[in-house]
Amino acid sequence: MIRLENVSKVYKGSVVALRDISTDIQKEEFVFLVGSSGSGKSTFIKMLLKEEEPSEGTIYVAGKDIGQLPRWRVPYLRRNIGCVFQDFKLLANKTVRENVAFALEVIGRPKHIINQRVPAIIELVGLTDKLNSMPHELSGGEQQRVCIARAMVNRPPILLADEPTGNLDPSTSADIMNLLARLNESGTTVLIATHDHAVVDRSRKRVIELDGGKLVRDQVRGVYGLG
Amino acid sequence: MALRVNYFVDETVSNLRRNVLLTLAAVSTVSISLLLLGVVMVGGEVLTKMVSSWEGKVELNVFLRDEATPEEVKALGSQANGMPEVDEVFFESKEEAFEEYKRMFKDSPAITENVDPNALPASYRIKLKDPNSAEPVASRLQGQPGVDEVQFGGEAMKRLLKFTGVVRTILVIAIVLTLGAAVLLIANTIRLGIYARRKEIGIMKLVGATNWFIRVPFIFEGTVQAALGALVASALIYAGKVFGLDRMQDAILFLPLTVSSGSIIRMFFTLLGIGIVIGIFGSTLALRRFLEV
Repeated sequence: MIRLENVSKVYKGSVVALRDISTDIQKEEFVFLVGSSGSGKSTFIKMLLKEEEPSEGTIYVAGKDIGQLPRWRVPYLRRNIGCVFQDFKLLANKTVRENVAFALEVIGRPKHIINQRVPAIIELVGLTDKLNSMPHELSGGEQQRVCIARAMVNRPPILLADEPTGNLDPSTSADIMNLLARLNESGTTVLIATHDHAVVDRSRKRVIELDGGKLVRDQVRGVYGLG
Repeated sequence: MALRVNYFVDETVSNLRRNVLLTLAAVSTVSISLLLLGVVMVGGEVLTKMVSSWEGKVELNVFLRDEATPEEVKALGSQANGMPEVDEVFFESKEEAFEEYKRMFKDSPAITENVDPNALPASYRIKLKDPNSAEPVASRLQGQPGVDEVQFGGEAMKRLLKFTGVVRTILVIAIVLTLGAAVLLIANTIRLGIYARRKEIGIMKLVGATNWFIRVPFIFEGTVQAALGALVASALIYAGKVFGLDRMQDAILFLPLTVSSGSIIRMFFTLLGIGIVIGIFGSTLALRRFLEV
């Protein structure tokens, strides 16, 4: 589903963010991308979304070399990838329902599909009673669930999460990870960038570790700290 | 496609409503900038009219010799009529000149009684298309058979023309300056509005909205704001015409002080057009920065 071949990224001013990374993430896998701040996790994620271009190497998403993708096709690449962020990135002046519906509206889905899918996905993340609440009326965990609902409502085959539990307490984090695991079981490929030890250790999933831009570990049932 | 138009309209209306303060700020900025521009335009029209009416009063007087033959007089008239710079030619006979003279001094019979009706010369009065051509036309007529003297205001008229030329130049500069100010003010307001919503634009990009899908509601909004601004500005100018210029005109009859309602309507469409063009270009330019992700 996601394949990197000898990918390097050098920012101008010769800051090396990633050094010769090769890895392959299969369909329906659940993978943690770990490493300390500055290890290259964010660059990794940004390149999958084509927010950044690799300096060298090739990236395949859903079988396509995204380096060959013309600019105007980039929005269509992103429709295949749901995104969840540490800071949620919800629209403050729209309700829960509108925030989720927004993801479908901007890709031009007709109203009857929106009216059918939005309540269903909000029910899946367990927020039916908050349908018409504004984001500031929700707790952090609830906001993150809205964010996941928005990422998934379009049914993308891939879900990227950048520090999804970074702003949440441990028990809320566990809820969010359970939700992501359930999405993975229903067939979504999930890639989570994190430095939350507890979350990684509990899940016992594949772990890819970056350190100083190099891939230092790729373990099938890994934990955070041991390498 | 129908569904998309619905989305764009819904999105425009709800964005305008949700961001009431931004909308008000934008509409009032557009109104004020266009009002300034409109005032300069109306002022310019009034001044131009005034200046043209002065210039229209400039005419050439070609006084004829008493001994000129009817053939010479006739030839002179058709020669003047044939000149490309000439608009109209009137002939004033000796009798008519005397009548005019009596009319001018009808309150002082002592002056008219002492003048021989034959003392005043017959003349051609020539109206020109462009008062600047007075001098060359005069010099061509001077010395023709039957012509005694050609008069054309001379120095006074040259000064008048210089003055009206300066007035016109100042007007053009004023319009260019206010137009420039309006462009900058409106474009800046639009930029602020877009900047306030950059987060929204970023999210739209991340969930896979195409650039045009993001752009269109902003352009619609800019257009609506520009239209409202032009409407407010034109309404204020119209009020200014009815309560200001029209009343002044009633008090001062001899100067053309006011403008017609028709020219206010034309100005509304001009302001509307300027506003919409700035709105579209301003939002497209301002969005460019945020669309590059």
